[in-house]
Amino acid sequence: MSARIICIGNRFLAADAAGPLVYDHLAGSPLPVGVELIEGGTAGLRLLPLLENCELVIFVDAVSGFRPDPGVIVIDPAALEPEALDFGHGAGLATLLATAPHVLDPPLPEILIVGIEGQADEPACRQAARVCREIIASRSNRQSRRQSASVQETVDERPGY
Amino acid sequence: MAENTRKTISVPLNRVEGDLELTIEHEDGVVTNAWSRGVMYRGFENMMKGRGAWDGLVLTPRVCGICGTAHLLTAAKALDMICGIALPANAIMVRNLAMMAEHIQSDLRHGILMFMQDFLNPAYANLPIYGEAVRRYETFRGRSVVETIRMTKKILEIVAILGGQWPNSSFIVPGGVASVPTYNDIVSCIYIINLFTAWYEEQILGCPIERWQQIESEQDLMAWMNEDDAHRSSDLGFFIRMAHLVRLDRIGRGHGNFLSFGQLELPPDSAVRSRSGDALLLAPGFISDGNASAVNQELVSEHVAYSHFIDYPGGLHPSEGITQPYVSPYEAVKYSFCKAPRYAGQPAETGPLAQMLTSRHPLFLDLVERYGPSVYVRELARLVRPAELLPAMKTWAGEIDPEAPFYHSVREIPDGLGYGLTDASRGALGHWLEVKKQQIERYQIITPTAWNGSPRDHGGIRGPWEEALIGTPIADPDNPVEAGHVIRSFDACQVCAVHLLKNPRRGNGRPACLRV
Repeated sequence: MSARIICIGNRFLAADAAGPLVYDHLAGSPLPVGVELIEGGTAGLRLLPLLENCELVIFVDAVSGFRPDPGVIVIDPAALEPEALDFGHGAGLATLLATAPHVLDPPLPEILIVGIEGQADEPACRQAARVCREIIASRSNRQSRRQSASVQETVDERPGY
Repeated sequence: MAENTRKTISVPLNRVEGDLELTIEHEDGVVTNAWSRGVMYRGFENMMKGRGAWDGLVLTPRVCGICGTAHLLTAAKALDMICGIALPANAIMVRNLAMMAEHIQSDLRHGILMFMQDFLNPAYANLPIYGEAVRRYETFRGRSVVETIRMTKKILEIVAILGGQWPNSSFIVPGGVASVPTYNDIVSCIYIINLFTAWYEEQILGCPIERWQQIESEQDLMAWMNEDDAHRSSDLGFFIRMAHLVRLDRIGRGHGNFLSFGQLELPPDSAVRSRSGDALLLAPGFISDGNASAVNQELVSEHVAYSHFIDYPGGLHPSEGITQPYVSPYEAVKYSFCKAPRYAGQPAETGPLAQMLTSRHPLFLDLVERYGPSVYVRELARLVRPAELLPAMKTWAGEIDPEAPFYHSVREIPDGLGYGLTDASRGALGHWLEVKKQQIERYQIITPTAWNGSPRDHGGIRGPWEEALIGTPIADPDNPVEAGHVIRSFDACQVCAVHLLKNPRRGNGRPACLRV
């Protein structure tokens, strides 16, 4: 499958360093074929091209207010409530995700957010990296099962079988 | 409406994170004083000390999520100088094309998505063209908004094609560029430039660039407006109509000093020529009281009397700069984490308007000579800067020779002092660097917003946009849209703050999450 893990944030600011720190974890060992790892920094809307031509995009970012205690959470962006958009220098992930369906040609990829609530310490970053790998693995397995079922159907439909 | 007596109001400038704040004092409906506060210490200069001589190429593009190419280029130029290396013509053109693509996306995203958004302010709801503003600029519904995002995304693909990586491209290196475009890459760039030019002419200008370039005075501009419905109904035409209706030509004057470091070196034998005959397409210069002079970087200094840094008398040149933060609860004078850059001891506005003036663009010389600088003329310069850039982009893309060199080898950075000067999208950008034994001994960066949003200097003189606010009428202190126009016309950028994804429903119910 084709997937991108886009780690966003600012590694020079502790409160916003979660994405880049998880990037460092993920960069330390190989990822499956077809999976790109990208340090998205603070590029905001300039990340739009990275939502094209792939099946799955996982954003890794610092989050606030998504779980009661510090830790890692997987967020479905479709369930996010709209907030005031900022197209300027404060444009962040919420603006990027709200903009994508309006300006990109379908089909859009499946998008998930792996968020770190609270301090992006070593265990939290390690766990977030593990969650990213698990998501990739689960989607790859699902796709493999679908493909083999499709092949089986094709085989079953052949005359003589 | 709040009572309109003497008082202060705070205006957060970056709408989400609030890392840049403005406090204005107004009396009887007019701004009488202003303070621009950078509220976050960044300290990139101190992070750089002791790192490898090449590290500026990787670290400084992270200074800004929007102007990363400009910082990369400026860092490389400083190293070019220390190495004393001349660039191949191909490298000059590739560097130029990337910078121009970054400018164009920035100019139009700022103009259409940010500046024009302020025309939807409820303060203008009774204007006859308010409905037109909504139809054009309403978020995701306005016809100009979606197309601007889509097309500016397209033009930025040029940086990805030429740089071979996106985002955080690191292809500009001392000696040239590390990514060598193929013939097909160049054809792709030309296709994008042509596509974008056609859209810019139809949507933004309402006329061919060649027609726009014939406009040399305010009289020509008004004649152009009345010449064709397409001109009046373009985004530029709408801006001109709206700006005159809400009198943007009467606010945001400022000191009247302008600084551009110049940019876009003309390679040898190129068909591209500058207006002023300069060796750069957009010429450098300093203008004070209408008098233009050549830029001498030795006249740049940074003051800290009103900034949260350890004091030193007067100003220091960036190559001697000290960046030692200092905050005290008993401090009554210092109010910003930005230093106060000065040129020849004077505050200076920088950005597209400064570029147009130092490049001797006749329309902008005429407008400023007649009426002085204003929000109107400042934003006008930003909206039409792509018309200065796109024809040169097309020529340079066609002049790149894939068979000729793109890089002259640089094996190591020798000891020495160097500086890189250019104009980023928001104005003059400088990196000053000292290398000793392959390590960075000293690094100082002055960004465009440091110039424009500077606090007061050693002599108590206000920074450019602090001064530009003086005299601005504030009809409703609860909705100071006029002050917003003034600051927005400078394209305020104290970026790369915390971009935390916040839950708007925090505390109200359960967050949406998936199990995997």
